[in-house]
Amino acid sequence: MDVIAQEVDYFFSYISEVGTNKLVRIFWFFAIFEFSRLFVVDLLALIFIYLKRKLTKKKRKEASRQLFLYNPLISIIVPGKNEGKHIFKLVSSLKEQTYKNYELIIVDDGSDDDTELICKSLKKNNLIDVFIRNEVRGGKASGANTALRVAKGDFVIHLDADSSLDRDAIEQIIIPFYENPDVGAVGGNVMVRNYTESLATTLQSFEYNDAISIGRMVSSYLGVYRIISGAFGAFRRDALEQVQGWDIGPGLDGDITVKMRKVGYKVVFEDRAVCQTSVPNSFKKLTKQRLRWDKSLIRFRLRKHKDVFIPNENFSILNFLAFAENIFFTIVLNMKWYFYIIDIVINFPGILGMILVMNFFLYTCSNAFKLLLFNFFRERKNSPIYIYFPFIPLMVLYHGYYLRIVRTIAYIKEIFFKSSYKDAWNPEKTSIKAKQIGI
Amino acid sequence: MDKAIESDILIHGPFEFIRIHEYSSYTLELFMAYDSVIIESNNRDFVEKLVRAIRTHNSTDIYLKPIFLLKSSKVEDPLINNLIDGVIFSLDQLELITEYVKQIILRIKDFVFVKSISLEADIISRAIYLMVSREKTELFAWLYLNSGLGYIYPEASIQFSPRDEYNILSILDTAEEEGLFTSEFNDRIYLCANCQTGILSYREVCPRCSSSNSKAEDLVHHFPCAYVGPISDFKNAIDDELNCPKCNKNLNHIGVDYDKPSLLHTCKKCNHNYQDYHVKAKCITCHNDNEVENLLPRTIKNFYLTKKGKNVAYHGFISTSKDFNKIPGTVTFDVFKIMLEYEIERLRQNNSTSNIAYLTISNAGELYSRIGIERQKILISEMIRILRKNLRSSDFIAFYNASTLILSLNDIPTKIANNILNDVVKITTILLKKNFKNVEIHIETFAKPLNIDFSHEIQLQQLIKRFEKED
Repeated sequence: MDVIAQEVDYFFSYISEVGTNKLVRIFWFFAIFEFSRLFVVDLLALIFIYLKRKLTKKKRKEASRQLFLYNPLISIIVPGKNEGKHIFKLVSSLKEQTYKNYELIIVDDGSDDDTELICKSLKKNNLIDVFIRNEVRGGKASGANTALRVAKGDFVIHLDADSSLDRDAIEQIIIPFYENPDVGAVGGNVMVRNYTESLATTLQSFEYNDAISIGRMVSSYLGVYRIISGAFGAFRRDALEQVQGWDIGPGLDGDITVKMRKVGYKVVFEDRAVCQTSVPNSFKKLTKQRLRWDKSLIRFRLRKHKDVFIPNENFSILNFLAFAENIFFTIVLNMKWYFYIIDIVINFPGILGMILVMNFFLYTCSNAFKLLLFNFFRERKNSPIYIYFPFIPLMVLYHGYYLRIVRTIAYIKEIFFKSSYKDAWNPEKTSIKAKQIGI
Repeated sequence: MDKAIESDILIHGPFEFIRIHEYSSYTLELFMAYDSVIIESNNRDFVEKLVRAIRTHNSTDIYLKPIFLLKSSKVEDPLINNLIDGVIFSLDQLELITEYVKQIILRIKDFVFVKSISLEADIISRAIYLMVSREKTELFAWLYLNSGLGYIYPEASIQFSPRDEYNILSILDTAEEEGLFTSEFNDRIYLCANCQTGILSYREVCPRCSSSNSKAEDLVHHFPCAYVGPISDFKNAIDDELNCPKCNKNLNHIGVDYDKPSLLHTCKKCNHNYQDYHVKAKCITCHNDNEVENLLPRTIKNFYLTKKGKNVAYHGFISTSKDFNKIPGTVTFDVFKIMLEYEIERLRQNNSTSNIAYLTISNAGELYSRIGIERQKILISEMIRILRKNLRSSDFIAFYNASTLILSLNDIPTKIANNILNDVVKITTILLKKNFKNVEIHIETFAKPLNIDFSHEIQLQQLIKRFEKED
């Protein structure tokens, strides 16, 4: 601690000597990217969102009225393997919904546990409308497509089996379709249910609460929202049929969002439609999950949908920007961070310790400020804000080092070794085919 | 017509047979005058109708009548086959059956016919009369298309129309409980929950609308693009190849390009998709569409007449013990046994005397036949009323059978118990004489003290043995 205190003292005496220009030169990464994009832009966008909501309150109310007036059938589809243990909890939360006209379709993708038994029992008791058992596993996409095949609703909600919903979640996620007929898909706000289970889950809850939820609100407002979570997303059925359902994953939720955007539908995020889910409870499991997510970014953004960058008759500036922003802030910035470290090591070797401590200090302050300030814009809070206070400094390590390193490994593995095709998340038979045809 | 045409009366030795064919004009009462009925017909419906009419007739002179079939072929129908006494192929064979007819007639002469107090007892006794007169000991269930249950007990089920045949199952179970039959398992059947008949059509139906109009198709999963759809989606109008409607690629090899993970039914009525169809059982009789789990399971048994059952033919069978379960002032025989056990236990702790006794109408068969079913019930109720009036509330009574009451007379000396019983006999006799002229009643009574050293069961057995010996 004495060392850190010394470095802080040294920092304050140093900045009083060097002036603002030199400071920006040293902390350019934070000043240009992190502070401007993740704080200033977000804050401004949130203010606009707040004002817009005030001004369009009547429109939203009218959309809600229309929803209940037309009372469309909604197909809730839940594909999954070995998820039987979660289904009753899901069914219970659905029974509580304010919107009642839905059908629940469960697809058992080759489970080898009691899922079939549980679901058949629930089906017998009319708690499930359609239950389809696939004897052999086909993967998440084929499960979702099977469900889509039998769905009768005007809208389709894709849920993960371990999700549970706020009482008005279905109502809230469908309202945007009535607010704007161009909307083809709506992403729900996923919150962490097991946020107190372990350090890993608390940090993820912090991340979902802050970077993911707020980030999606902002990107949706800016028209560059690019991923509808598989845990909770709603689609117009005709739009889904137009894009011919889901393609094989991993990363199929991001992929379907891009496909929707490419055919011209608006894709929006609805923070008031809240779903809770359990996140990986150890860093080992979390690493595995994030490696999969990050690899899919390369596979889908840079390979499968690279045509978004090509100016042709289907070119859309918003899609281009959404992709560019995504690639810049994840892939480029991730690499640029290493460049920043090299820059500091070469040019400021004498004050390296002080820079690292100060970066930590700046990010901590920024995180604390964002946590408090952005809380004002959250209509639905998953957990009391104070539980995150002790973890603010840890989030610097979580975001700045842990996630960055995982991301780097994922990118290298995917760019050079296409390792997403070896992921056991998908059955081997489908991965082989996907690799052969290069998707 | 009360008289048969002369040519239809066949005399062979001491026996007179009457021949009936499809165009005969007759009344069933006419058969009383003859020793046996010969039905000459190859028309199964006619034969069944006539055999049914004879075997369900109220008069014992008619329903036990020997029946023979004169026809050109053997009888395959199990109902007719079990209810007739034989088939002859020409009248020359009459002499072959005369001995058999004689045996039947002789056996029937020894029977005691009494009026049963309940339908159950009546059905049981009629079946037993028929069986014993033919020296049959087996009452088997036969698979039978025209039966309401799918199975028929010819000698017993005949008393019911196909729609009411289900009653026979509980009646035969009662007969078994009474010790008249033993049984062995034959089959298990399921009956309509609405009408209790067993001719059901099991159908695979849509779990949502119960329609049986559906189509089933394999779902195909195309690996490269994750398209899932029925096989018809992949077929084209030009050739036999399978093409993916999503990515347009050919499906060449199952397990490599695609697989069929499941089978999906689509209801043509409500468009519901399902994998597990619902099975429903439609009743052919009442058209009720039963949930399979609501069907009524019943065991079909083959029955064997016991010695006690055979005795029914020679002593009559007035009632089942169930007929008396609800007569006020009595307890069931099972409850009686429990109460007797408690009484013996009580006596072990108190130095007093309690008695076990019986009161039996020794000429019950004759008596009940003369006074009729309705009056039997009145007489029994009246007798119980007199008993209750003379007994204390701590004494208890149960029916052992239609003619015998078992009593526990507590906390009184045996001599007084016997006096009370004698008083009851006197009052009942006076009452009967007052109401029924020319009718006699013979009542036997006996009381003995309960012995605390023996179980209630042993003492009951001893008592029962005593009056059965007298009987």
